Amino acid sequence: MFNLIKKDFFIQKTQIGLLVPIIMIFAIFIENIHPAFIFLIASVFIPLNAYIFDQQSKSNILLNSLPYTRKEIVAARYIGAIVYMILSIALAGVILYVFQFDYTMSDVAIAAGLFCLIAAFAFPLFYFLKAEYIFIAAFIGFIVSTIILPPVFRFLAAHLTTITDFITSLSIATLYLSGAAIAIGLYLISWVVSQLIYQRKVF
Amino acid sequence: MNNIVEFKGVTKHLKDFSIKDINLQIKQGYVTGFIGANGAGKSTTMKLMMNLLKADEGDINVFGMDYASNEKEIKERMGFVYDSNVFYESLNLKDIRRIVAPAYKNWDDKQFYDYIKKFELPLNKGIKTFSKGMQMKASLAIALSHEAEFIMMDEPTAGLDPVFRRELLDILQEIMKDGRRTLFFSTHITSDLERIADYITFIQKGKILFTDSMEDVQDRYALVKGNMDVINRDIEKMFIKIERSSYGFTALTNDVAGIKAVLGNRVSMEPATLEDIMFYAKGAERQYV
Repeated sequence: MFNLIKKDFFIQKTQIGLLVPIIMIFAIFIENIHPAFIFLIASVFIPLNAYIFDQQSKSNILLNSLPYTRKEIVAARYIGAIVYMILSIALAGVILYVFQFDYTMSDVAIAAGLFCLIAAFAFPLFYFLKAEYIFIAAFIGFIVSTIILPPVFRFLAAHLTTITDFITSLSIATLYLSGAAIAIGLYLISWVVSQLIYQRKVF
Repeated sequence: MNNIVEFKGVTKHLKDFSIKDINLQIKQGYVTGFIGANGAGKSTTMKLMMNLLKADEGDINVFGMDYASNEKEIKERMGFVYDSNVFYESLNLKDIRRIVAPAYKNWDDKQFYDYIKKFELPLNKGIKTFSKGMQMKASLAIALSHEAEFIMMDEPTAGLDPVFRRELLDILQEIMKDGRRTLFFSTHITSDLERIADYITFIQKGKILFTDSMEDVQDRYALVKGNMDVINRDIEKMFIKIERSSYGFTALTNDVAGIKAVLGNRVSMEPATLEDIMFYAKGAERQYV
């Protein structure tokens, strides 16, 4: 299974090289951007790219001909996505720190939570869709998210405190904890759904 | 003699095609050629063998094990060569080795580099720059580097030029020498099989018509030529398909001995090639065997 996770790194070595300059561009040139958005872009980059890579070629035939079970292939996708998310966020954190772009741990937490939500919806959908539509779906998803997400972030950033004030019974910590629980819960449900879809898939 | 692969009553329905009640045995230690027209079900059968498709009904055993409980162990011992490239196109062989090698317990690096050298494959060029023949050799090198006991090849010779095809057949002959391996390969270029196959499995419209040794096929099948006046209803039953022309008839039989006994010298007989069998069987009005 670890091999399958490593594989995602090998197949997109050149693209991963792009991640650093992309984060730097965000950090240096774009001023009004919410740091959580940078973390989110960074964390989505590798898992999504790996996914698109795997679906475009006949690699499903390859992976399923090697001594792996379908269960392991899906598990590697979900565990790998978390591993690469953590690594990418750490990388982004270092770059932003170097360029003195202010951020807090809550930005990181929001990005990680949103990443789980996006992955939870995108992965089963991609397993379900035929390979030829995946690129289009990913492209539309990306465009839509770049248009919609920044205002959402700004809204959340501005109103999160008012919302929390509203729910006076909840402390900030509980709010984050319940957010985390929802994100992780959805991610795990998504894992099960993906596995069911992948078991039935015809290559 | 052991069977390395066994299909028992396997049925699979796909959208616009199905294979029905397939029984198939592949004998250990031999080369079995898998022939049939395009769309006869060759690739579907091979995908079932590889567990890329799951059967609707019936049992599939490989090395005497089933996929439900021994998927990894079966695949450890299997090699595969597909009719098109399944490796990541932008990667070179070095990177592909990095992905494939750790998947196998029995991977032998030395063996791999030996075959790469022998097949004259570049290590640092992307697979997408490889010719069809080079891709085939790369797949084969990988299959041979993890000590696969059973190698399954889907149309390995399709699209290769004649020189390359012969080279590949020589390689296959060589890897079969030590008797440890079993080879199953599909093709519609039947002359390839006449050179190296020990057994022939013939599939038509999703059904296996026969699995026979090459000698049996050659003994039983023949092309029969003669005048129309020797043909009557009983004789007709001994033929799989009769082609009539103004000069007489040409027909395929799978009952050489019977024809000899009944018609003797009134007809001439010549050995049927696999291509003849495929051609005549395709037009046959009745299912035979």
